Amino acid sequence: MSRPADPSAAHGLRRVPGPRHVHARDADAYAGGGLPEADAWRLEKHLESCGECALLVSDAVRATSVAPVLADLRAALLAAVPVAPAEERPPAAPAAEPARPAGPGRTAPARHAPRRPRPRLRLRRPVAGSARTGPAARAGRAAAASFGAVPALRAAWAASLAVAAVAAVVSARLAGFDGARPLLLAVAPLLPVAGVAVSYGRADPMHETVAATPSGGLRLLLVRTAGVLAVCVPLLTAAGLLLPDGVGGPGAAAWLLPGLALTVATLLLGSFTGCAAASAATSALWLLGLACLGAPSVPGAAAAPGGSAAVLRTALETSLGTVLSGPGAQAAWAACGAVCAVLLAARRTAFDRLERM
Amino acid sequence: MNPSSATPPAVRVENLTVRRRRAVLLDSLDLTADRGVHGLLGPNGAGKTTLLRVLATVAAPSSGTVELLGRTPSSPSARTAVRRRLGYLPQQFGHYPRFTVRELVAHLAWLKEVPAARVPAAVERAVDRVGLADLLDRRMRTLSGGQVRRVGIAQAIVNDPELLVLDEPTAGLDPEHRAEFRALLRELGREAAVLVATHHVDDVAAACDRVTVLERGRRVVECTPAELAAAAGAETGGDDHGGGPAERGYTGVLHRFRRDGAVTPVPSPADAGATGTTETEGASA
Repeated sequence: MSRPADPSAAHGLRRVPGPRHVHARDADAYAGGGLPEADAWRLEKHLESCGECALLVSDAVRATSVAPVLADLRAALLAAVPVAPAEERPPAAPAAEPARPAGPGRTAPARHAPRRPRPRLRLRRPVAGSARTGPAARAGRAAAASFGAVPALRAAWAASLAVAAVAAVVSARLAGFDGARPLLLAVAPLLPVAGVAVSYGRADPMHETVAATPSGGLRLLLVRTAGVLAVCVPLLTAAGLLLPDGVGGPGAAAWLLPGLALTVATLLLGSFTGCAAASAATSALWLLGLACLGAPSVPGAAAAPGGSAAVLRTALETSLGTVLSGPGAQAAWAACGAVCAVLLAARRTAFDRLERM
Repeated sequence: MNPSSATPPAVRVENLTVRRRRAVLLDSLDLTADRGVHGLLGPNGAGKTTLLRVLATVAAPSSGTVELLGRTPSSPSARTAVRRRLGYLPQQFGHYPRFTVRELVAHLAWLKEVPAARVPAAVERAVDRVGLADLLDRRMRTLSGGQVRRVGIAQAIVNDPELLVLDEPTAGLDPEHRAEFRALLRELGREAAVLVATHHVDDVAAACDRVTVLERGRRVVECTPAELAAAAGAETGGDDHGGGPAERGYTGVLHRFRRDGAVTPVPSPADAGATGTTETEGASA
């Protein structure tokens, strides 16, 4: 943290003390409570719009004896408001540096409370104490870091997810492509499965480090899978809802249970083969199943006009109708998912497998 | 080295053999390490990384006894118990480019089951100890190779491990930071059993209490750095390419081992286990 040894001097010299900017002398007087009231008001008015001077004044206040009190006050405030500090943590200060008393408590008198030069401060000087304050903020931070691993791992996957959703909506709405819905429903269950594959195991750049931690097994896999689903489910369901209404056919949310069941099946299979291979296998099974179920409708569709695209669409709609439509099909997927979940629980230690060289 | 009589040593390895297909990576190796810094030296392919991966509960031994912190990490529950008290920096320390230093170390702290309330302070302390306090909120992708390595060390120590396994922690560090790191190593060695593989013989001489030299999966010698340095005088086979006494001792010992298949330890004190294995060379090829 390289800072001028005496910030007020630096600022004071650089700023030709015109009527507007705060002189270092005034800042010190203000901090010490010795500035006449009229001057104090003018200064505060100026601080609202000038980050540089605000910094100057806060440095001056920090040099006074109230600094520890302010630090405590800030800590208490942060503890009471756990969300805000977790949003955007400013760059950190060395641990040795005392907590910067930012915020309302910066200047002692109550009337100064709203004049806080916040943005500038955050950029320049982090709040060393904030990371240690507020148990809720801490816990939130830790959880955020662990869940945060999910999107951070896979730009390619997130991109393909977005492309699938956007392409479906755009092609259906703008280009009038009426095969968008069946295509989206056919692809949607594969995306969480692919997400699992790219977020755990060998695909994880920290695989080796993670493997030596107590939570690196099923626990981490489940957390990351939850993250994958948290991204997939809303996005793909929303995309499905944005599509024009299909004539009959499965609804926009019909893929949810199959997608969930395939994901859990991937985890279960992954306990034997590793997630990448398991994901490939379940994806292949899904596509193969759709192809087999759709095949019988091909001769009939081929006789009708519309070309090969229409044939494919008819076949896809037929197979999706079998796989997704109706309470029976959905119940079967739910049961399949539940069975896989139970088996997965029985296999929970398998993910912490030692590598055979 | 002051192994207390009541507690078992942090690391006890007997007759450890690791094979991969036909190749023998570790050949009936014995090793005991307790609190303090234990250096592993050896040329590329000597088995340092394999040994450390076994000690980090990542790889399975083919045969032999491995006991870490008093437990045998062959069952998942014992492994989990060991891992809570373990720190590991692998040779390939991948990272998440979009994470900040703080997030990455906090993520690992979470994985190591550091209580959530203690995570922020533990993260800051660990990062501060490797001298990166002012980069806490920098993204990993903006760091240099040496800085990434230091983040790797920080994540390894974030849970205050009792067993710390570091695979080439000084790779990519500039001399200044290597010196700082040696000081940190000595400090860590007061609280934990630290096993360090390195190519920098100087690091060993400066920071380690014991040294094990490996070659082709076998132990050449186990001694103190001073004894290794003393071997420089005793051995004449080393290349005369300069370097410190420890380095000359190391090359001398290796040279002798390759020639004779064994090394009688240097004027060693009452350390009976310091003899190299006496098998003839070539068994592992």
